Amino acid sequence: MNDYPGKILEVNLSTRSISSRKVEPELIKKYLGGIGLCARILYDEIPSGADPLGEDNVLVFAAGTLVGTPFPTASRTEASAKSPLTGQFGTSNSGAFFGIQLKTAGYDALVIKGKAAEPAYLVINDDEAKILNAGFLWGKECWETVDILEQKHYGAEIALIGPAGENLVRFASIENGRYDGWGRTGLGAVMGSKNLKAVAVKGSRGRNIYDTAAMLEAVKKGQQLIKSASSYMAFTEYGTLNASIPYGKFKATSAHNFTKGTLPDWKDIGGRPIVDKYGSRHVACQSCIIACGHWAEIKEGKYAGLRIKDLEITPVMSFGATVGLDTEAIIKASEICQRYGVDMVSAGGVLGFAIELYKKGILTDEDVGFELDFGDDEAAFKLLHQVINREGIGNILAEGTKRAAEQFEQADRYAIHVKGMEIPFIDPRGRWSTWTLGMLTNIRGGDHLRCRNPVENLRYNDKDEAYMKERFGFKKPMYDRLDMPEELKSKAIDLENDTVDIPEMSKWAEDLINLYNAVGICIRPPVMEKVGPTIIAEACRAFIGIDINAADLMESSERTWNLIKLFNLREGEAVDASKFPRRFYEEDIDGNRLDEAKIQAVLEKYYQARGWDRKTGRPEANTLDRLKLDDLDN
Amino acid sequence: MDKLIFIDYHKCVGCATCEMVCSMVHEDICSPALSRIRVVRYPTEAFNVPITCAFCESPPCVSVCPSGAITKNADSGDVAINPALCIGCRQCVQACPFGHANFSLDRGTAFKCDLCGGSPQCVEFCWTEALQYVPLDRALGGKRDAAARNILKSG
Repeated sequence: MNDYPGKILEVNLSTRSISSRKVEPELIKKYLGGIGLCARILYDEIPSGADPLGEDNVLVFAAGTLVGTPFPTASRTEASAKSPLTGQFGTSNSGAFFGIQLKTAGYDALVIKGKAAEPAYLVINDDEAKILNAGFLWGKECWETVDILEQKHYGAEIALIGPAGENLVRFASIENGRYDGWGRTGLGAVMGSKNLKAVAVKGSRGRNIYDTAAMLEAVKKGQQLIKSASSYMAFTEYGTLNASIPYGKFKATSAHNFTKGTLPDWKDIGGRPIVDKYGSRHVACQSCIIACGHWAEIKEGKYAGLRIKDLEITPVMSFGATVGLDTEAIIKASEICQRYGVDMVSAGGVLGFAIELYKKGILTDEDVGFELDFGDDEAAFKLLHQVINREGIGNILAEGTKRAAEQFEQADRYAIHVKGMEIPFIDPRGRWSTWTLGMLTNIRGGDHLRCRNPVENLRYNDKDEAYMKERFGFKKPMYDRLDMPEELKSKAIDLENDTVDIPEMSKWAEDLINLYNAVGICIRPPVMEKVGPTIIAEACRAFIGIDINAADLMESSERTWNLIKLFNLREGEAVDASKFPRRFYEEDIDGNRLDEAKIQAVLEKYYQARGWDRKTGRPEANTLDRLKLDDLDN
Repeated sequence: MDKLIFIDYHKCVGCATCEMVCSMVHEDICSPALSRIRVVRYPTEAFNVPITCAFCESPPCVSVCPSGAITKNADSGDVAINPALCIGCRQCVQACPFGHANFSLDRGTAFKCDLCGGSPQCVEFCWTEALQYVPLDRALGGKRDAAARNILKSG
């Protein structure tokens, strides 16, 4: 590959200057695209110590390498900026159709700097990009904004913020069209701080294929692999809700702000039955062959007439378990989050936190102005709107759980976050796994989407006293088919004892997911089980003519992960930041609590696997050498 | 023509893999704008409508073409554009009732579905079976069966 056709579009809202530059082939080789490009741009261009809500923060949207091809699930775009919620690397990944438009307009990445003097929105139409006045859109909710912009800019895909982003709610989302979004780490507040309401992008070109026959072959192979996954049929039918029943059974959900493990009737509230009851059609992202999205309609009751693309585990757990709402209220909560632009996990976390403070008497009627209780949807939504509008107690809660807890005495023990980000539905006391270790080591804080055993078996929940292992639970053919270097595979999976080594698998899983986020494919389980670096390398070679193999891809992904770690350390990440909330070590769920010393031992092993120094938290010199991260300025 | 691209709109999930594959096999490029088949999405209804050539028995594109570049093959039923004869007037684009006939700004000629010479790749890669390349009778037979089963159930 001597030349690469993609460009980076850079928009400075302060100076109103717009420019584009070619992406050097060397940059693609080292960082691929998506999160790789985001990481390098953020590391190079955000000054150390920058205010996440100030002019110096840089917001990047980068479509994955394979986005713009029919490779299955290649739809995804990473958005990154310094996070106003955590003060660290903020990043989120979304599918749908934004990435394909960005790519066909000619760009791999969009870099947004500075701050507009007045509310503005950006329109990109192939080579033409314009900053337009958004005064007429400011204050409008997302669905209405999308309606207006779709009318004005035919065929464009729209990334936008709602009132929560405008009001700098620290966990505001960037919405991706009406029903998808870059939810986590508060990127919506970054857009709001830049006075940027929306980005509308439309492309009319495309990307040349280096070798069409080889690419079609890779696409066909990719489709066959995903279809042959053991979880494929279940995911095409029920999507992510497949996980909510086992987690309920294991008493490992976030029920009532992580105090209960599960709830009575959980199966009916949060599981497959709700798809059967409310779901009508399946909806896919670009090039996806799973279509896990469900179109839901409520036909009667107080939310009758509500129609939405969302019956997903995230809102089900955040609002069903954490806040204790029933199914129809969960769907309503999803709608509020999408229309007003807040992250569902953090919103559910903040509500659960506030309700528990109220029940403990730490928040009083005087503070709130009305009664709060788990399961009370009307009170929960009233409070959520106060958060979105920063009214009353909502103004404190809009700062996120960690900062809000500092405002009240004794509130700290009810604040459920890791590194400042509200953690999602998985309670590690109920089920310890590669997935839960990943919530501690995640480069974006308490979150479940950057690490998961690619062949996690939800039938089992065997306890390992040392926290080092989880059950593999599959037979040899699954082991044999797993696309992993043999030496590493035999270290990570012990077939004889049917166990998975959690620290080794965590490193592999993080690098694998990070690779997906670089090339722009999806982390749904049928993909994780079957689509490894070998087929991804085949597709990359055929698409862009890059000389790259599976090991190169994994190394590139590891490079990006280390670069993000360096960013976080530069921004002051504490060595002991990888900690669960106190509650998990001090209070039992079903007789279980976490053992701090044992978790530290697991982390020690993880740091060894990563080549990081546990004492300083830094990647060791030979790790940086091996990953060729020697061209960093500081 | 004995076979047609039969579209079951209720099965389409809007992934647009067909658009990508079509532009790849015809143009060596991935570009929805250069795809012969297009998927019109209605996100607020979760409904998607793929549109491709209907291979009309009386094709307006053929009638309107002033240079004889578009012809209908009486035996196969295929409606094809000969780019060597196309003068780039875009009359076919305007006449097509489905917005299917399209125009390449790069080449200055019109383009449309050519059924990939008898093995349409959009169908080949459609995993939902929303697109099928089947004889009319079989396509309708499937629909008839489904309707009949409903009647059977209600009876």
